[in-house]
Parts: sequence; structure tokens; C-alpha cells
Amino acid sequence: MSDMIHVLTVDDSASMRALLRAALSSRGYAVSQAEDGVAALEWLSTNGGEIDVIVTDINMPRMDGFGLIEKLRGQTRFRDCPILVLSTESSDEKKARARSAGATGWIVKPFDAEKLDAALRRVTH
Amino acid sequence: MTTHGAHTHVHSHVERITVMQGQVYVGTGKPEILTTVLGSCIACCLYDPIARVGGMNHFLLAQPNPGSGAVADQNYGIYLMELLINQMMTRGGVKSRMKAHIYGGANMHAGMARIGDANARFARDFLEAEKIPLVRSDTGGDSARRVDFDPVLGRTRCRLVEPVAAPAPKPIVRPQTGGGDVELF
Repeated sequence: MSDMIHVLTVDDSASMRALLRAALSSRGYAVSQAEDGVAALEWLSTNGGEIDVIVTDINMPRMDGFGLIEKLRGQTRFRDCPILVLSTESSDEKKARARSAGATGWIVKPFDAEKLDAALRRVTH
Repeated sequence: MTTHGAHTHVHSHVERITVMQGQVYVGTGKPEILTTVLGSCIACCLYDPIARVGGMNHFLLAQPNPGSGAVADQNYGIYLMELLINQMMTRGGVKSRMKAHIYGGANMHAGMARIGDANARFARDFLEAEKIPLVRSDTGGDSARRVDFDPVLGRTRCRLVEPVAAPAPKPIVRPQTGGGDVELF
């Protein structure tokens, strides 16, 4: 049996995706990635059963992080899946909107790998 | 909010905005010139010619470990680039239409690590990964540069200046917005 946590990261920046993959893989996570909300929904429609936690950016083309969270919370199988926002934004207004949409938490970029690791373990315990 | 700490000065009808290390500024659509002086630091100017919106950041990333093969402090660099792109998007910019200029990255002190080169390499690698065309660059060497950027027309001017004109780089300027902080709801 493996305790490996499977994370889906959603970010339109290829550079950020590469950074997240390196940070999480080196800490023992299985990492899947999508480039925006639409791609994440497509991926989850066939692979969603494998995912333990989702980390999503907010500002993305096609479907932003708020839209993704709302869509996922509207699906029974993702109602309880932890979703962390990882964004350059830090305003109370944006955080309140994410919380209202059903986000589990908010992490401000640039991320600290140790803090991100601790948050992922806490929300997936 | 389109500024991330820049200073403004009004000359006739054109506002001159100084973009200091660690700052990001995106044009408001009014007549403005974004200006900065660079030594080892890099300034990246992004411009969307359809939306006619442009912005500039100014950064110096931590030096990579010698021999590591790594580029400079990617996490913070990506953050400052993303901040610029996101602020451009709030002004109507579209990432796939953006074009980039990069300036600076001089190696100002002989005998010291070539941190200017490492910063320029980071900027080039980022733009390539994000598929943002680099249409002009003036980096490297051992001279300071002054850059002026018109964010409405997308025009830049880069001149070499005396090294004394370049502000001493701060070691690493981290954002004051609580980067890395975790808040669970």
C-alpha cells in the first residue's frame, strides 16, 4: 500500500507548473497538472477518482480558479475534495469569494515549499 | 490597483513612473513613461499591441549555487513575472498577444559571480516557457542602463549610463504581501 498523495495542480504558467512539479515530486507527491479550469475539468472527468487534493491558480484563461471551484463543488464526487488556491492575489475580497465558492484554503505566491507541503498534508490527513 | 510600489513624477502632460527593484507597474492608459536604471537587475517590459497596454517589472534574483546548473531564484522570479502578466490582464491584455523586451543583467563587478547573466537567463527561459516572444533584448556587459518604456505605444529606449547611476542592488527583495502564507478556511 502507498500513502502517496495525488495532487492536481492547475496553473496557466508553464514555469509555475514546472516549479510545482519539482517541489511536490521531491516531497513524495504524485503530481498531475492542467493549464486552466477547462483542462482541469476535462482531466478530472476521466481521472478524478485518483485525486486527493487540488491546487489551483485564480487568474487563468478560459476558466479561472473561481469558476473551477464552483464547477467542482457542483459535482457530488468533488464536494469534499480539498481545493487550495495558490495565487499572487491576497486581497480579502478575493479570499472571501474563493471561500464562498467552496475553496478549502488560500496560499499566497511565491509559495514556500515547506508550508505548501504542510498545508497539503493537513487538508488530506 | 495597477502599481506594486512604483514612484511617480509629473513632467508636462506625461507622467514619469520610476519602477524600482522588486516593483511592477502596468500603464493606466494615460500618457506615461515607465523608467528605471539597471545594473545587474533585469527589467522585463511586456506589451499587448491590440489592447495597447504595457507594463514593466524590475528584479534581481538570488544567485544560484555555483556549479548547481540552476537558474536564479525561480520562485520569486516567476512570481514577479506572473504579477506583471496578471496586472496586464486586468487592463485588457491577453497573454498570447504579449511581446517582451528585457534589459539589464550587467555583470558590474569583475571577479564576482555573473549574477547579471543568471538573471537574464532566467528571464529568457521564462519567456520561452510561456511562449511570449522576446522581440528585443539588451543584456550583459558591464555597463548600467537606463530604460524608458511607453506602455501605450510599446516603445522603449535603452541607453548605457555611468555605473554610478545604477542603484546598488538589494540582495533579495521579497514581496510584503505575505508570500507563502497559508490560510485554511
